[in-house]
Amino acid sequence: MLIDKKRVKRNKSLDKFFHGFFMAMAILSASFIVIIVLFVFTKGISPFLPGYEYGQVNLFDFLTGSTYRQDQGVYGVGFIIINTLVCSFLALLISFPISILTALFIAKVAPKKLGNTMQSIVELLASVPSVVYGVFASGVITVGVRMIAESLGISTFGGSSMLAVIILLAIMIFPTLTSMATTAIRAVDKDLEQASLALGATKTQTNFKIVLTAAKSGIFAGAILGLGRAFGEATAVAMVAGNKLFGPTFNPFDITRTLTSTMLVGLKETTGLDYDIRFSVGLVLIAVIFFSNFILNMVKKRIGRNL
Amino acid sequence: MRREVKDKILQALTYIASALSVFVLGAIIVYLVINGLSLINTHLLTSNYYPQTANSGVKADYVYSEMGDYSGNGHYSKKWGIAVEDIVTSHNDEEISVTYIDPNSPFAHMESLVAGQEGQDSSLEVGSNIQNIYYTDENGETVFLSKVQMGDAENLVARLDEAEGIVSCNFESLGGGIRGSIVTTLYLIVISLIISLPIGIASAIYLHEYANKSKINRLIRQGIDTLTGVPSIVYGLMGVAVLFPVTQLFGATSTSILLGGLTLAIILLPTIISSTEEALIVVPQSLRDGSLSLGATKSQTIFKVVLPCAVNGILTGVLLGIGRVIGESAALVYTTSTVISDFPTIMSQGTSLSLMIWSIMSGEQPNYELASAISLIILIIVFVINFVVKIIGKRLARSFM
Repeated sequence: MLIDKKRVKRNKSLDKFFHGFFMAMAILSASFIVIIVLFVFTKGISPFLPGYEYGQVNLFDFLTGSTYRQDQGVYGVGFIIINTLVCSFLALLISFPISILTALFIAKVAPKKLGNTMQSIVELLASVPSVVYGVFASGVITVGVRMIAESLGISTFGGSSMLAVIILLAIMIFPTLTSMATTAIRAVDKDLEQASLALGATKTQTNFKIVLTAAKSGIFAGAILGLGRAFGEATAVAMVAGNKLFGPTFNPFDITRTLTSTMLVGLKETTGLDYDIRFSVGLVLIAVIFFSNFILNMVKKRIGRNL
Repeated sequence: MRREVKDKILQALTYIASALSVFVLGAIIVYLVINGLSLINTHLLTSNYYPQTANSGVKADYVYSEMGDYSGNGHYSKKWGIAVEDIVTSHNDEEISVTYIDPNSPFAHMESLVAGQEGQDSSLEVGSNIQNIYYTDENGETVFLSKVQMGDAENLVARLDEAEGIVSCNFESLGGGIRGSIVTTLYLIVISLIISLPIGIASAIYLHEYANKSKINRLIRQGIDTLTGVPSIVYGLMGVAVLFPVTQLFGATSTSILLGGLTLAIILLPTIISSTEEALIVVPQSLRDGSLSLGATKSQTIFKVVLPCAVNGILTGVLLGIGRVIGESAALVYTTSTVISDFPTIMSQGTSLSLMIWSIMSGEQPNYELASAISLIILIIVFVINFVVKIIGKRLARSFM
């Protein structure tokens, strides 16, 4: 049999080409994260640099300010950072126990069929888009908040409030927390459970004391992921936040303002300080997510070691 | 005994927590169905968002036949099969609005007289406001009935009953439709997938088939993993900052659907990569070895043996991507603008279905009914996608057993 040398050569060079092509595409995909941070940084930092065309903004005032008024050109995001942190952590506080209980139910307590159905329901909740949650929140959650407030004799701004934001975020991060917790619980070593059962612990005791303890690293990872989602959630939150001009807000029935709602609301022109400052707010958002992830990951490592 | 009670309580807690999430999903669906279901019909899907004035004439091949009875709102002209009532619009204008049209009515068999659209179906619809009518009297002469002459609905019906034939009429269509947004959403899906699929699949192939455990490759993987955690609103910022100059090369002067599609392409990358990679993992190594030992090169093996086996995983990625595009809103606020467009083109601004919801909910008078109707449509599509992905996943797990 004759070997077509030309063809072999062509195949070889083609093979090399594709190797290079695949690698280039992978590098391109990975470089987007660098591009995102780089460009948002350059654009977000520009209003604070001397010679900014719409009038330089003081970086310190921006980061510590307690008033954000587009109409007066006063931009301070200090209180907005606090609002964002408070809303997200409280949402996590509500969602965390419920999601762990649900995850236990799916993985351990429920009969197999019921557990699978429950998991599908959590997956459906995860697939509901943000705006749809927003419509639900402004149509149902705000009405509920208004009714609670009225029964307490407090007036609200049509139900748009910090409490509404917290409930909404708690619902929205629930699927993330639950699916991560379910995976972690399912991954727990069967031997551990059996040892606990053999020592005379009941099934429920084993689930709550052994399984949850063994799975806590994975559960905590879910909490970090969920918190990141809560920080970055935009359209739905903007629909019920109310956008307070000053703060921070600690009264649950008062309107509030988060980093994301600030970036979205009142977006009209695509030039000028009011537009550029949104990149600065976005930069602050990236920083908040980064630092909270960093700190929580350290906490997670410590928890993992104490096991 | 006490232990048993405690166990039961804890167990009950897990049931309650699960019931709570079922309740939330149920509440969302019930709310959307109650508010939006009545709006979902062909009018919603096929008509424009903005009301439009139309000038339509009765088709030449229309043959008059008996009209049915009608006993609803408004004054009914049995002769012409049309019912009208007086309304006051949100702009405080007094209008005569159509409440019913009989299928045999001449008003249901009209074509457009507007220059450039001649011959297109343009019948009067329920909800349209009649501006003026041309009809023929007993002498066969055409009579013009202006808005002032029509007066109110009762008077209009009385005048119509004297008429011998209907010629044409001017009316303002109802609007409130979502056709433009559906088209925009389709554009976004196509643009983002065309760009994201080749890059994503190639990246997944590199990561799974080529990459060894070197530092660079770990860095690449970490970069792609980090993309998943970036909030979509930050992608929006990146879109205008990085990709807008790219769209300017194609002649864009403002934010555009093309820009939105490009931004979405990057948002989809992690999804496409991970679902492709999951499918590549399932392909048995023996298939690759077999192909290589028969003399095929590595790239030949990938294109002819590995990828055809991974097609289900790629399909999953495509479906998840479509779901993500349909649901995305925050990134598009910055990249396609929030201006609802009835006739979107790739270079123009427009809103996807999700963005349209944001647009009508953040206006001064939020339209809950329309928002719920669109939400319901989105939810149905997303749930169907979810279901199909699950079936594919089951088949994928079985395919090489």
